[in-house]
Amino acid sequence: MIPRDEVSAMQFGGASIQRVLRTTGGLRGVLAGLMVAVGLLALPSFGVAADTPAAATEYRDIPGIGSRNIVWVIAQLHLLLAGFVLGVPIFAWLCEVVGWKSGEKRYDKLAKEFTKLLTSSYATTALFGGILLFLLIAFYPKLMNYLTDIFFPSFIFYCILFLLETATLYLYWYGWDAMQDGGKKTFHIFLGFLLNLFAFFIMIVPNSWATFQASPVVISEGTDLQRAWAATWNPTWWPVNIHRLIANVVLGGYICGAYAGIRYLAARNAEERDHYDWMGYVGNFIGVFGLLPLPFAGYWLMREIYQYNQQMGITLMGGFLSWLFILQAMLIGVLFLGSNYYFWLGITHRIPGSEMRYRKPIMTMLVILLLCLGVWMTPHSLVASLEEARKMGGTHHPLLGVFGVMSAKMTVANLMILVTFMSFIMYWRAGKQETATWAKVAKSVMGGVLVLAGIAVIVLGVWGYFVPAIIRINYFSTSQVLIVLFVMLTITPLTALLLKSAKTTTEMVWGRMPPRAGYALVLNAVMVILLMTLMGYARSSSRVHWHIYGVMRDSSQYAFSPALGYAAAFMALNTFLFCLLVAFIFWVATMGDKGKAGGQGEAAKGALPHGMPAMAGGSPHHSERG
Amino acid sequence: MSEVVKLQLIGLSVVGVGIVILLFVRAQFARVIGFVAIVLGLFSLVALAVPQMASLPPAEEKFDIATVKTPTDMAAIGQKIFFSKGQCALCHSIGPSESARCPDLKGIGAKLSREFIFESLTQPQAYIYLDYRHEGLPKEYPARMPYINRNPIGLTKNEILSVIAFLQQMSGEPISVNPSELEVPGQAPAAPVKAGESDPVAVAKAH
Repeated sequence: MIPRDEVSAMQFGGASIQRVLRTTGGLRGVLAGLMVAVGLLALPSFGVAADTPAAATEYRDIPGIGSRNIVWVIAQLHLLLAGFVLGVPIFAWLCEVVGWKSGEKRYDKLAKEFTKLLTSSYATTALFGGILLFLLIAFYPKLMNYLTDIFFPSFIFYCILFLLETATLYLYWYGWDAMQDGGKKTFHIFLGFLLNLFAFFIMIVPNSWATFQASPVVISEGTDLQRAWAATWNPTWWPVNIHRLIANVVLGGYICGAYAGIRYLAARNAEERDHYDWMGYVGNFIGVFGLLPLPFAGYWLMREIYQYNQQMGITLMGGFLSWLFILQAMLIGVLFLGSNYYFWLGITHRIPGSEMRYRKPIMTMLVILLLCLGVWMTPHSLVASLEEARKMGGTHHPLLGVFGVMSAKMTVANLMILVTFMSFIMYWRAGKQETATWAKVAKSVMGGVLVLAGIAVIVLGVWGYFVPAIIRINYFSTSQVLIVLFVMLTITPLTALLLKSAKTTTEMVWGRMPPRAGYALVLNAVMVILLMTLMGYARSSSRVHWHIYGVMRDSSQYAFSPALGYAAAFMALNTFLFCLLVAFIFWVATMGDKGKAGGQGEAAKGALPHGMPAMAGGSPHHSERG
Repeated sequence: MSEVVKLQLIGLSVVGVGIVILLFVRAQFARVIGFVAIVLGLFSLVALAVPQMASLPPAEEKFDIATVKTPTDMAAIGQKIFFSKGQCALCHSIGPSESARCPDLKGIGAKLSREFIFESLTQPQAYIYLDYRHEGLPKEYPARMPYINRNPIGLTKNEILSVIAFLQQMSGEPISVNPSELEVPGQAPAAPVKAGESDPVAVAKAH
């Protein structure tokens, strides 16, 4: 299954070029030119290779630091930056579409300012990608040879995608002001769509390389294109694609929120506070929007892993990584609490006079969330001495053991999603009075749907204890997910319809949030980043001592997965470094604006919408209508 | 000082630095950094408080045929393989267990012949028939048991025989596997059957 020895691997370059020309048919002329150009540039390296005997180097290392640790940090930073670079265009494009449809210029400005970040963050991401590639080739030559052999056709596709993405980004960013009206704006929106489309493919192509390592499909027959395609369409490819796509939206939203939170804390006047308060709201909204379906995508991914290889699933959920999922529950729980807390702060501070009205439902939701979090964080089996185990009557605690199983965890995860969704709906409806004649019926229907859904989720959860695991996984858990999705898909449009004709009883006042709201936004962003680092470690560790599961064994000194404490230190370090990088990118991207505003003095400040800094448009009170 | 203690000290120091910044520094950006430091430090401390288990690659049981004299010697090696490289205990228990996902193997050596056990380990699909639990044509029913002689587990014939010896011994049965059946490396193809050598689509069907 690892067919090529090192000598044949050294000859791989020439053979691969022939293969790709053979398999790409109509594009032969273009690709041949491209190959010649690449070949000329690579001549020096071929010269070196020709002079060197075929050395059987499998690994290289850097003593002291360790090759794996270096790759860990660089790969994690690259992936986080990539998530940011792919998440921000989705965020920006959504804002641009909202601005275009609603005519509110502030959304367009917000979108533009976030697109501005793309140019510098795009370059930084590519820089880390390049460093990662060099490190992988240097540290893991045998593995990289093997992966190149399998995926060479997709490398070419990936390069073409990058060219298209770069050209589209330039057009999208530099053409922003020139394409503001009429058909040009429509074309600009289309460019934004294309930008996201190419970005999506840029994400899923490397996903195929990574997921191949976990769930490889290797065919020994067929053309190179067929081999590459079979390897690409491996069992976990699409679940990871969808999971990452949603996670990138969440990351983009919460990072925008964190940026707004920091600027809000440092705001020097009322206008700045208004503006960054609003920006924080938008960021948190988009973050929550993505967060709600994210657990479903995660569930699908885990299900596919179990379907693919039960041992891998058990290693993840019941083996040495089982405690990782307690940490995951903690992080997701804090994220849910942080997001809800921000909503609640918004209701009580932005809508004057609403503090007492909403206190009761908020307290109820808080209690439900805390109870759910408690259940979610309950470990299945406890670390107990023999004597303690005897007293408990087994390795499972008589009470905690009941809550530690998947049936309970799935139930509370769904309930937390329902509560967060209701927080969002409550915030949406706050300060407005429905005027439609059918409002009462609609509200009753929504209340009924919510109550019935909650009961159904709990009943299925309890029932799940009394049926075989396969029935629970295939039918009960799936039904719970579908019920919650049904609630979202019915209540959201119904609320939108209701509020279309509603009259505003209390205007929302921006800029009154207490400082802790800014910290809540920062906390949410840190939680999302930590979650991404944690699950990256889980994904990598589930392969245990295999570079490519079941195909290529890791025979290096690092063929082990470190314990959670050691791994968590790296996760914390990577999160901190990523936060610093993002702060640097924001600083660089906005430096010019501050310089301009500062250089032109107070008069110039007045020329900007209400003395606002250029970042992300005017305050909602004074927004221009297009 | 153990690695965990060192990391705990680092985590505590990070939290401490964060608290000091929040208490004494007025610059907002620095305060946010202090806050983030506290969050990350606390996260690391929680992660250090849960059981610390590293996942080591399975120990290769050295099969020095010369030292294996009796069936009991084989059973002893089989027991080690059962709980390590063979990964049997990941899904199976010996005796009733709430967490076991697959059949309890207590007494299995008495219930099944050694030939049947060998076939179950190397051809788990052999006695699984068609699945009619859906509309349309029946499908091949997927066995949950992995091919134990293929990657990622890849036990050799000698190792499988030792596991059978262990299963028989654990069931109180006389061990019917004899050390004379062990294949001497180099004389017979003792290497694990690599996935894909016979199957054009190989590894995705790991189980």
